[in-house]
Amino acid sequence: MNLDSFRSMQWVDYLMYALTDPGALYRLLQRKKESAQLAVSFLVPVTVLFLDIIASSLLRTETDFFYTKLTYGWLLSIFITLFTVTAAASLMDGFAQILGYRGNMKEMVVLVNFSQMPKALLLPGMLIFRTLHFAAPFFYVFLSFLFVIWSAFIAVKGIAEMHDCGPGRALLIYLFPFLFAGITAFFVLVVSALYLARYLS
Amino acid sequence: MDRNRKILVAILAVVAFSAVLAVIDISLTMQERVRGGPSLELPRTGPGVGIVRIEGPIDFSESASPFGIMSGAESVIRKLDALYRNPDIRAIVVRINSPGGTVGATQEIYQKIAALRKKNVIIVASMGEIAASGGYYVASACSKIVANQGTLTGSIGVIIMSPNLRQLFEKLGITMTVIKSGKYKDILSTFREMTSEERELIQELIDSSYRKFVSDVALGRNMNKDEIMPYADGRIMTGEKALECKLTDMVGTFEDAVNEARKMAKLPDDSAVYDEVKSPFQQFLFSMEGMFRGGNMMERSFKLDSYSILQYRYQP
Repeated sequence: MNLDSFRSMQWVDYLMYALTDPGALYRLLQRKKESAQLAVSFLVPVTVLFLDIIASSLLRTETDFFYTKLTYGWLLSIFITLFTVTAAASLMDGFAQILGYRGNMKEMVVLVNFSQMPKALLLPGMLIFRTLHFAAPFFYVFLSFLFVIWSAFIAVKGIAEMHDCGPGRALLIYLFPFLFAGITAFFVLVVSALYLARYLS
Repeated sequence: MDRNRKILVAILAVVAFSAVLAVIDISLTMQERVRGGPSLELPRTGPGVGIVRIEGPIDFSESASPFGIMSGAESVIRKLDALYRNPDIRAIVVRINSPGGTVGATQEIYQKIAALRKKNVIIVASMGEIAASGGYYVASACSKIVANQGTLTGSIGVIIMSPNLRQLFEKLGITMTVIKSGKYKDILSTFREMTSEERELIQELIDSSYRKFVSDVALGRNMNKDEIMPYADGRIMTGEKALECKLTDMVGTFEDAVNEARKMAKLPDDSAVYDEVKSPFQQFLFSMEGMFRGGNMMERSFKLDSYSILQYRYQP
């Protein structure tokens, strides 16, 4: 994405389609295979992260310690976010291949990144309730939940378009990382419990 | 630029504007808090009261807290020395929150405080949640003892513990081969029963340390041993009860102890307090460290390859 394409405001289309028509977003990604597409797409989750940190800072009683930790925490949070998005997209892509679909890791990462877009709206929403002094913590949780669902909807629609499959299969692919993490955690817990029981006996 | 793009750019502008507003909001909240809070108070200088804190079990192991505050008997002694040498320090408050500790470490702190007291340094003990056994031993060296009503104190006595694991080892089929130069060389061994001769020997050690404890408390408190003996059976008591038994001088808080030290040193009421721990959060971390050190000490005392230690310690 060079300066000319930035000035042309075509980049707005990615974000607009992310919010309005995720299927069209995937078609746009396919049509415009720009080299910087992947790198630029990571700006979305990073921006969302910053906005979320600011939104959550509005809620709590700030302390010096909180701000000191936050300053260092920003860098760590960015790394964690980038790792989580990449790992989740890899697992989705891997599972799609297991189901017999064509693998496309790069497009999956870009799609997951752009699907985070609705979460950016959390801060303006929060600011309204904070200014009105009306149940800000409740609306922080409520809006977060709402935007997570919206974000999942975008990703599922995009995956359905990508693999030309039904929404059920797309949802299964989208949920696979969560299932994988849950199953892994469950088995780790079981093995730990068995190990502990053996050790105690 | 078509209409849809314009709408989205407007949404992005709203998001960016919200972020700016939110950052301003957070900054203003912070400024307001700082303005009202204690951190903008000018650092006070001049004559004042120095604080030394004894947190957790007393021993010689030295460790630094996340804020660089050292704990351990030797660092307490160094702090007392540093405060004594500082011309601005006119009185010292020893804040004790400890169930006691090893005999050697406790006696060293006691001796240091007693030596400073001989040099006419005003030292006031302030008891926190617990100042039992060795904690009380240290406090008794001070010119005055201030305890909270609910402080757990007393527990005058000595204890040594050694687990007997003989039956467990028999079950596991483990035997220990011991070659020793004298019959008492493996006294308090965890691998066998204690003999009656060994028990007598250990009891002598305990009695000797106990006599020292009682005589030092009597000396520090300026009392007769006979006045202390009725309460020197290891019993614990509240700060209020300790006052009745004359083991403390007044019931009060840490602030009361600081004010008492100011009064004794003829310092004004608003004179400076020199304390390493400057915030409640720091105090919280310092207390947590005391707890962890307590845990480590227990762990050490139950390790098979460690030796049992004589302790002036409240050990429920």
